Amino acid sequence: MLQLEPQNLLIEETFASALSPNYEFPSLDRILTDFDFTTYRISTPEDKGKILLSIGIKCWSDLAKYGSLELLKEKYGHYSFIQILSEGSCEPGYDVSLYIDINNCTLNNIEKAELVCQLSLLKRNCFAAPFLKAFKRYEVLSRENPADPNNIYGEDSVAATNNNEEVLKLDYRGEESIFIKPSNDRVTVIFSTVFNDETDKIFSKIFLQEFSDARKRSIQKAPQVINSHKDVPLEIQHIEKPTGEKTYITFVLFPRHLNTEDAKWNTITHIQMFRSYFHYHIKIVKCYLHQRMRYRVQSFTKILNRAKREVDEAELRSERKTASGRRFEVR
Amino acid sequence: MSSINTPAVVMDNGTGFTKLGFAGNDSPSWVFPTAIATRNSNSSSTTNTSSILNKSSDLSSINSPYTSSDTSFLNRNKISNNSIHGNREMSDLDFYIGDLAIDASKGPSYSLNYPIKHGQIENWDQMERFWENSIFKYLKCQPEDHYFLLTEPPLNPPENRENTAEIMFESFNCAGLYIAVQAVLALAASWTSSKVIDRSLTGTVIDSGDGVTHVIPVAEGYVIGSAIKNIPIAGRDITSFIQTLLRERGELDSSLKTAEEIKQKFCYVCPDIVKEFRKFDNDSEMFAKYIVETVSHRKVEIDIGYERFLAPEIFFNPEIASSDFLTPLPIIVDQVIQASPIDVRKNLYKNIVLSGGSTMFKDFGRRLQRDLKTIVNERVEASERLSGSKSSGVQVQVISHKRQRNAVWFGGSLMAQTSEFRSYCHTKRDYDEYGPNIVRNFSLFSVP
Repeated sequence: MLQLEPQNLLIEETFASALSPNYEFPSLDRILTDFDFTTYRISTPEDKGKILLSIGIKCWSDLAKYGSLELLKEKYGHYSFIQILSEGSCEPGYDVSLYIDINNCTLNNIEKAELVCQLSLLKRNCFAAPFLKAFKRYEVLSRENPADPNNIYGEDSVAATNNNEEVLKLDYRGEESIFIKPSNDRVTVIFSTVFNDETDKIFSKIFLQEFSDARKRSIQKAPQVINSHKDVPLEIQHIEKPTGEKTYITFVLFPRHLNTEDAKWNTITHIQMFRSYFHYHIKIVKCYLHQRMRYRVQSFTKILNRAKREVDEAELRSERKTASGRRFEVR
Repeated sequence: MSSINTPAVVMDNGTGFTKLGFAGNDSPSWVFPTAIATRNSNSSSTTNTSSILNKSSDLSSINSPYTSSDTSFLNRNKISNNSIHGNREMSDLDFYIGDLAIDASKGPSYSLNYPIKHGQIENWDQMERFWENSIFKYLKCQPEDHYFLLTEPPLNPPENRENTAEIMFESFNCAGLYIAVQAVLALAASWTSSKVIDRSLTGTVIDSGDGVTHVIPVAEGYVIGSAIKNIPIAGRDITSFIQTLLRERGELDSSLKTAEEIKQKFCYVCPDIVKEFRKFDNDSEMFAKYIVETVSHRKVEIDIGYERFLAPEIFFNPEIASSDFLTPLPIIVDQVIQASPIDVRKNLYKNIVLSGGSTMFKDFGRRLQRDLKTIVNERVEASERLSGSKSSGVQVQVISHKRQRNAVWFGGSLMAQTSEFRSYCHTKRDYDEYGPNIVRNFSLFSVP
């Protein structure tokens, strides 16, 4: 499991079984979670054939500002049996609810599979809106001011240094944020992340170093990654105050990551998972190190055991003592 | 850390099955075998590496509609013969857990392991990876944001607790941890029954899963370790008993799966074997028919006869199935309670709680209660005769409830959703301050 999967397996499983032909309609009431303080609730409040799927996201107010709701309507609105409830009408404590009437579902198997897939990607779809907005803005900008094809990395280009473009900001975990900045030849995505654990901080430095070096070695197609500890990147200096605690990771998305619809969605799927992916890998590394340590200790114990002298019966008997320290008579 | 609204994660890792879910739900989100499939060690020889890589990419392509990432570059530098590292570069990530593990182990390149044996964790490497996958793939949560409730069997050595805490806090940085004894959680789960009037943590737990049946006395949340008894009869034995009966009769299909389904759908506990035999002989309605679809998609009809009541009967008359263990369950329960301190015995008789899938048979609780009452009443009468004074009597009550199958997990879910739960947990900060030995003690849940 090198990659984390973007879909929520539980939602996928629930709806795959709910949409299968011989479904028994149990009454449901479940709470599920996803990364970054996302919670779901699947319930059947009125009728067992109508499933209410609610999602609560910490930075929903930011997402709504950048048009998440419209995107969800576009994604799920064309299904006649799905109602999208938001703000006043959705389930209290959650941000958006999808009310799915299983009984009136008239899809064939392929469409059903597609719907299950889209439902399980609900979180990604919510997070996609600001990215799409930035990508659109990039398209406008690149038409206005086409990038110089000879200057691949955009060094010293006018747009990169002097740009008053709006930066989209998502406070997806409270004090940790995602910044997205479109420009005429690229879209820059910056993650800020905080580590509570000192060990994690060190692992993260090594990991990020590898991450930015990977591009140089073998994967030229990957976006450029720049990481900085403590220093706030230039692009967001006007909105972010340096705290000395945060680590910033900058991804530079080039036109090749944004040129087709598939590429865009692929980029979004991967990049919105980045923080979880990053923390996941730090944990895996620790697991791996623990495994090595256990192995080493075991092999050392083996060597130590080999050094043990074999004690024969007679010697053992002469060594034996009573509680008061007297030896037994050797006959 | 700001983990105020996130539900606690409840993980019950049993010998056979792992139950995962979030506190507040009424059933676990995931139930799958506690199995992990790891790459075979002999497959690291370079000659067959390519075929294995293809195989693994086949397996990982299950999720292709979601991601179109190409990870082949990671396998490029496979051939290195470093003495320690060998070919292990990515192999620590190449494993499956649960049902996927069982599927994967059918192929040639993975081997199946069960990291928990007899309720206790034997292989920490595998368990650590099992947890890692459970948390990140199945539960999808950042361990920093959640409190965790794990379970342990009674008489688990404190070193195992420490190891668990080391993994949970150091590898995963989980926000808080509570390790509860399974029997105590099973008692808590019984509070959903209408028979329970006062919610106490005193009672006898009969926990019968797939491998072993335990009878565990618990007094005010503490397990009375010296009185625990194990019975080597559990779900697996019932299934194989049904299978032998089917084979003896020469039924067309006597696979383990069929026997398992018959056990779950048709079996019940009868009040009296002799009468039940007579009832079957007089009334052919009692015999059931079951249609099985065989591997070759042929439909086969199977008659189900006496095994309907004979199979669960092996708890009460073990001699019909086994020759080496002959003590019936009610006698064992009585012995366990008699071995407990005298001042809790009355409460132990009053609150006998069932937990685990093999206690789900219809009327199991009623039969146990009746048999146990007979034993107890005989003893009370004998003592009245000898002493000449009147006894105040002993109340025997067996409590069965709807959540028996996943009772331990459900009890955990109940406990972890209370508002006080977090104050009972040890947090990451406590751990960093005092070290792993803080998990040797947990304060008990106070009874509401």
